[in-house]
Amino acid sequence: MKITQQATDTTLTLILDGELDASSSVILDGELAKPDVLEYQKILIDCQRLNYISSAGLGVFISHLQRLQEANVKLIFFNMQEKVHNVFEILGLDALMTIVPTQAEAAAF
Amino acid sequence: MLLYCTLLAASPELAAWLWLPTPWLTLVSQAVFAAGVFLYQRNRPDPLRGTDFTGLLRRLLIGPGVLASVCVGLHLLERFIQAEAPTNDRVFFAIIYTVNLALFIIFLASTNYTWRSLVLFRAPTHLRREWLWFELLLGVTLLFRLLNWAPTGLLAYPVMGGLALFGIYLSGNQKWVAYLNRRQKWEVVFLQAGLLLCMGVFVVYFLRIEHDPKLVVPAPQHAFLLLTVFFAAFYSLIGLLVTFFNLPTAGVFEQKREEILSLQRLTQLIQKGQTEQEIYNTLFDSAVQTVGADAAWLTLEAPIDDYSGQYFTIEPEQSAAIHSLLTDYNLGHIEYLNNDLDNSSGFRNLKLPFSSMIVMPLRSTKRRYGSLYMLKDQRHGFDRENLGILQTFTSQTVLSIENLQLLRASIENERVQEELKIASAVQDSLIPKTLPTDNWFEISSFALAAKEVGGDFYDFLHLPGRRLAILVGDVSGKGVTAAFHVAQMKGIFHALMQENPLARNDREKFPVPSRFMAQANTALIHCLERSSFITASLYIIDYEHGGFVFARAGHCHTLYYHSIKEEVSYFRTAGLGLGIIRNDSYEKHIKNQFYDYNPGDVMVVYTDGIVEARGAQKEEYGEERLQRVLERTYYLEAEEIKQHILNDLAEFSRGQPVHDDQTLLVIKFKAVQPDSHS
Repeated sequence: MKITQQATDTTLTLILDGELDASSSVILDGELAKPDVLEYQKILIDCQRLNYISSAGLGVFISHLQRLQEANVKLIFFNMQEKVHNVFEILGLDALMTIVPTQAEAAAF
Repeated sequence: MLLYCTLLAASPELAAWLWLPTPWLTLVSQAVFAAGVFLYQRNRPDPLRGTDFTGLLRRLLIGPGVLASVCVGLHLLERFIQAEAPTNDRVFFAIIYTVNLALFIIFLASTNYTWRSLVLFRAPTHLRREWLWFELLLGVTLLFRLLNWAPTGLLAYPVMGGLALFGIYLSGNQKWVAYLNRRQKWEVVFLQAGLLLCMGVFVVYFLRIEHDPKLVVPAPQHAFLLLTVFFAAFYSLIGLLVTFFNLPTAGVFEQKREEILSLQRLTQLIQKGQTEQEIYNTLFDSAVQTVGADAAWLTLEAPIDDYSGQYFTIEPEQSAAIHSLLTDYNLGHIEYLNNDLDNSSGFRNLKLPFSSMIVMPLRSTKRRYGSLYMLKDQRHGFDRENLGILQTFTSQTVLSIENLQLLRASIENERVQEELKIASAVQDSLIPKTLPTDNWFEISSFALAAKEVGGDFYDFLHLPGRRLAILVGDVSGKGVTAAFHVAQMKGIFHALMQENPLARNDREKFPVPSRFMAQANTALIHCLERSSFITASLYIIDYEHGGFVFARAGHCHTLYYHSIKEEVSYFRTAGLGLGIIRNDSYEKHIKNQFYDYNPGDVMVVYTDGIVEARGAQKEEYGEERLQRVLERTYYLEAEEIKQHILNDLAEFSRGQPVHDDQTLLVIKFKAVQPDSHS
């Protein structure tokens, strides 16, 4: 798992590359838990190269969801592969989180 | 052999008495006797036992000491007889001379072979070879007189000189002296002096009688005896000198030896599995002894039982005063050497008799264990060496302590493994063993945990009015935490599926699945970690009316064979997992799905361990492949359908480890049996 960050004044983009399993979830959790994350307006998650997400990976997003909402930071996923989207959908997360097809749509959100 | 030789050696007496001079026979007997004695000594087992050099020299001195006394005694006896009754009896004189000569040869032989033990002490092969040559050459000199070939003046000096040089060269091998401590060195000095004295007695005796007119016996084996006595005396002298000049350094050697022994003691404690307190005790005693501290103390950061450190000729109050002073200077936990404490005003104010101090922390990369403090009265009492040895001691101690902790941890780990086995057995007992049976349906189940305890669960509950509740679910994560939540879900299931006595109608007596999920979500909010969630599906089958209702809380979609349409498909309903939203809005995210089943319908309920099982190329088993299996097998019995699915799954993930818990339920609805309706 490789996590690359791209930041502008208002947006933080995390590019996830590989499998988000129990061990890499800890790294992602560390990134999202940083206090300065709440200073952005949007957190974009680029899922193009995200091949697999475990329940621990989902747990990271779930645990930060409420905190981000309370701080008025939008969490937007884009470029999600079909099978990963399926996992979000089965768990019902597609109703709670914003998942859009492209980066442009994510940026415009 | 020896007796025989001695008899022959005494033959000059006979020869002199009988006036039949047989000088050649005398010489042969002398040579044979000398060779016999030397060979006898040579073949005796090595007299050196271990590194008991003083014992070896003591035994050597006592033997020849007695011999020398006998020699002197005989000489005095001869003098006495001469004085009392002057006689020119050459026989008597010859006997005394021969006996003394024999004694001298025995003395030389035993000395020579004692020196061999010392020369060859831990000697390399080439030195052993050189010694053999030395022996051989000495043996050859025995033949000089025998063959009546005395090296003439011109040749004598190089031959004798060469052998003497060989002897001097061998005398340089005094390695054994290094293994003596101070007391033993003094002892060796005196023993060597005693040996030289004994040799002196013999030599003086022979020198005095050499020109005695009464001596009719031919002169002894000069070359051989001269060389042997030279070597014996020279080795003894060099040994004495080496030992003597080593005396001043004996203290340093002993200290080093003591350091090594202390370190050995510390190392051995690891293997013995002693307690931590014993290890600290050994460290403290060894450190105090080795550096020769006048006062010392040891404090631990975390006391073990009642042990928090120890003191040596210093009061805890005094040490506390020094410690607080060090803390003020920020020196309490670092390695620190001060050889001039009087220089510091803070220390002078404490009015303590100490002038030198070492602080040595006990620490590993991970944690600090405590500190060791060493004090001396005089200034410049400690040197870098002391610091070095204390470093070695403390790091060895920390190693021993950590080793001990690791050992304990592994025992603890074993205990945890045992408890996991128990947990596994407990969880196994939570899984329903007897599946509900009725003529209206068949159920077949399969459950496999990836570890000792798992996060998957399923349960059944019969409700009044020919209804059956089936709960299937999966707690995120694995292991003990997940297992704990599994037990909790089972509790929630049985608690919520109780008949509500306040219900106004039959429908409200038991919660509908969506209501159940909302209540379960509320119950879980307070005990589920923020990043954990639970997926579950609850089915309530009413086989009186031939229908069922279910709600899916983020759990895998239900696979279904519709016999009326002859079609296999998934019920793709919406529904959010439990524990994701932690407020009342959860119920909005969960839906009930009603369906009237027909005989021959098949329902396949499973957890993600089935559809996310990996194949050889890391690809997932998937919903589609599962659907294909049911399309091929829907007409079979529930048990057979389950077996086909499991076989297909096993074929797909052959050789791959099971990385998630797997649960599979196959329910087949059947037409009512005519005789069963009661």
